[in-house]
Amino acid sequence: MTNEFLSHASLSSLIAELVATGTRVIAPVQTEDSPDRLEYKPVCSLADAALAAGQPRLSLKELFLPSTEVLLSYRQTKEGVEIREVPTQARPQVILGALPCDAAALEIVDKVMSWDSKDELWLGRREATTIVSILCPVEDSNCFCTAVGVGPDSVRGSDVFLTPVEGGYLAEACTLKGQSLLEGRTADHADPEAIAEAEKAQSAARKKVQENAPAIPAGFSAWLTENFGHPVWNTMALRCHGCGACASVCPTCHCFDIVDEHENATEGVRRRNWDSCQTAKFTLHSSGHNPRPSQSERFRQRIEHKFSVYPRRFGEMLCTGCGRCSRICPGGMNLVEIVGGLISLSASNSGGAGQ
Amino acid sequence: MKDNACCGTTEEWSPKIVAFVCYWCTYTGADLAGTSRLKMDPNVRIIRLPCSSRVNPLFLIKALERGADGIIVSGCHPGDCHYSTGNLHARRRFAVLHDLLGFMGIEDGRMTFSWVSASEGIKWQQTVNETIARVRALGPIQTLHPVGAQQLIAEMGSEKGDQAR
Amino acid sequence: MKELQELAAKLLRDQNVQVVIGYEDGPAGVRPAFITDANDAARLIFDPRCVHNLATYLKPQRKHIAKLGKIAIVVKGCDARAVAGLIREQQITRENVIVIAVRCGGVLEKAPAKAAKKVELTEENVSVRCAGCEAREPKLYDYIVGELPTEPPVSSQRAGEIAQLEKMSTAERRKFWDEQFSRCIRCDACREVCPMCFCLQCVALRAQPQWIDSSPTPAANRAWQTMRMLHQAGRCVGCLECERACPKEIPLGLLTRYVAGVVDQRFGYKPCDDPSVPAPMGEIKTDDEEEFIR
Repeated sequence: MTNEFLSHASLSSLIAELVATGTRVIAPVQTEDSPDRLEYKPVCSLADAALAAGQPRLSLKELFLPSTEVLLSYRQTKEGVEIREVPTQARPQVILGALPCDAAALEIVDKVMSWDSKDELWLGRREATTIVSILCPVEDSNCFCTAVGVGPDSVRGSDVFLTPVEGGYLAEACTLKGQSLLEGRTADHADPEAIAEAEKAQSAARKKVQENAPAIPAGFSAWLTENFGHPVWNTMALRCHGCGACASVCPTCHCFDIVDEHENATEGVRRRNWDSCQTAKFTLHSSGHNPRPSQSERFRQRIEHKFSVYPRRFGEMLCTGCGRCSRICPGGMNLVEIVGGLISLSASNSGGAGQ
Repeated sequence: MKDNACCGTTEEWSPKIVAFVCYWCTYTGADLAGTSRLKMDPNVRIIRLPCSSRVNPLFLIKALERGADGIIVSGCHPGDCHYSTGNLHARRRFAVLHDLLGFMGIEDGRMTFSWVSASEGIKWQQTVNETIARVRALGPIQTLHPVGAQQLIAEMGSEKGDQAR
Repeated sequence: MKELQELAAKLLRDQNVQVVIGYEDGPAGVRPAFITDANDAARLIFDPRCVHNLATYLKPQRKHIAKLGKIAIVVKGCDARAVAGLIREQQITRENVIVIAVRCGGVLEKAPAKAAKKVELTEENVSVRCAGCEAREPKLYDYIVGELPTEPPVSSQRAGEIAQLEKMSTAERRKFWDEQFSRCIRCDACREVCPMCFCLQCVALRAQPQWIDSSPTPAANRAWQTMRMLHQAGRCVGCLECERACPKEIPLGLLTRYVAGVVDQRFGYKPCDDPSVPAPMGEIKTDDEEEFIR
């Protein structure tokens, strides 16, 4: 896929046309009450978008797996039970200015969503969405995307990747979907100066985030499995409140709970809602037994799932290093610190004491 | 505004009031109102409890959430509680609930807290009719509960459906 | 603070105490610290960035902390009220916890997101809960450290925010809260960080019967928040931990502070750090105001 030049004007008219033809365009926007806080929201024009201005507080996950959604409605009649399922075909949408960590996360979660059971709602929305990512300016020291195989210039999960250059963007079409979006909008073959400018910016961004954490070594996943019973787990999560805020902001956490809600005696809906393994009730049995009785076991589960179980099953870590969990945690849990500590422990072969 | 838009019907709207009353005083007073053939509009559904202190604020919250346009809570006069101090506990609880619901945007007119004794059939009639009149003037509560199931499914995939939950 | 660090080290060394819960500088700012080794006591700090209420770590369900052994906890005056609350409601016994009170001159509204050096308190950055604080010299303690700083400035940012809401019409308030509750995702962070939310099974998690729907719909969210505030009436200490923990930045402090105002105005009760003073909602008076009763 070649690099082409997309001017500001071209991008602006592309957005305008998409909006005019009923395609929803979502981009990071500054929130009303707090200009340094960004959120992914629908926009009407390029002017409303705050591109490469920072990391939106919440990820793109909500667009593909809403925090609550109806799956079906049921109604009991004399003849039996009538079920109406929600349509799985989604409205076309374009996400403009997605952060690479958020785009890559979607590709990673696709694996479980198309595994033993195809999640038609997730996949339907993915099918209908075109993702235009942008080079990330790197938020702060909590970021560690390069440590987990992503990066501020990563094209994973993107249909188009933009790097800001003089007068516009260097646009890389990463997929056929991306190619067709850019059709006729770009000048062929960006000039060598723009390409050099782009490469410089990408390399600087990568270098900046690499300072935060070294790459996770290949044997880490196996070490985690072998050291499931290590005493370090007893003291790692003392400050964790088990609130699940981390899971809610995480672009790769995807667990959900299914509930039936009655309107009245004969009809109701079935919904799915976000859930988190960090809550006490996540593994609570109706007998009262809980196989993960304290926060130690629950936090261990989070790390094991993301860095051991998911990689073993799907070949990918369930984490893109976006750092949101560390930023939002009211107890001060920090994933760069925690994973770094576990890696050091794994390197000291003895598996001895100490955090 | 005046129709049952939240339920998908277009009948002329009439207030739905749920009343939580204590068995020993208010329920008996309501019974007296009935046997005395006192005229009351039929908008109130009565739920009988042993004491006003049995009223868990959850009952009131749930009733409002599920479409009650107004609520009545009534018990024995302070000093006359069958369980001696139940209504005094309830009074504290209701005071906070009343203020908090108002702060969160539920009109004062939708809530009636009262003391109605076993002999106050006429007071019960007044309480019921005044509450209904007040709530009628305020209009339907504007559903707190999510849109009806069938309507929600029908809206899915459309512009409206994006906001519907 | 050297005095605090030396005290903590002494408590750990002399085997009285197995863990000291306090504050430290973390990679993303000030955060709770769990010191189990006397040599690590030098990590403990105390300054206006120490906004967290650590009393929540004493709740019985924090089994993995209780397992460590005897706890010594660093508290500001407001946090001491939460410790008193837990003692009052028999979740911990007075003898089982060592309380290290710190004389306090106020804290920031929010702990800084990035590791930052010490800050001076100003009208703009001080927490709204600090103005007029009567607990700067806590009365519940086994040890008390620090010099009494000057009184905190009065917050200019949030002064009068509740009065502002009260001035709105009921319909406007309805709209305001509907909008706020539409953002809630029922992560329950507000409940988990709260020192006074210690029910082993929260009413919102009951499925048989289910009084509060678990789905994060605006209606169910409103029911949840209303119920939590009612259960907190007369028990909440106003630490605003719930508000700080909310990932959707819902202004829960407006509700907690409003309810505290109602409880004070109607029943003359302010949260206090004396466990023998009974909480108001379990008490009864024959002459409570009943102007709201028709």
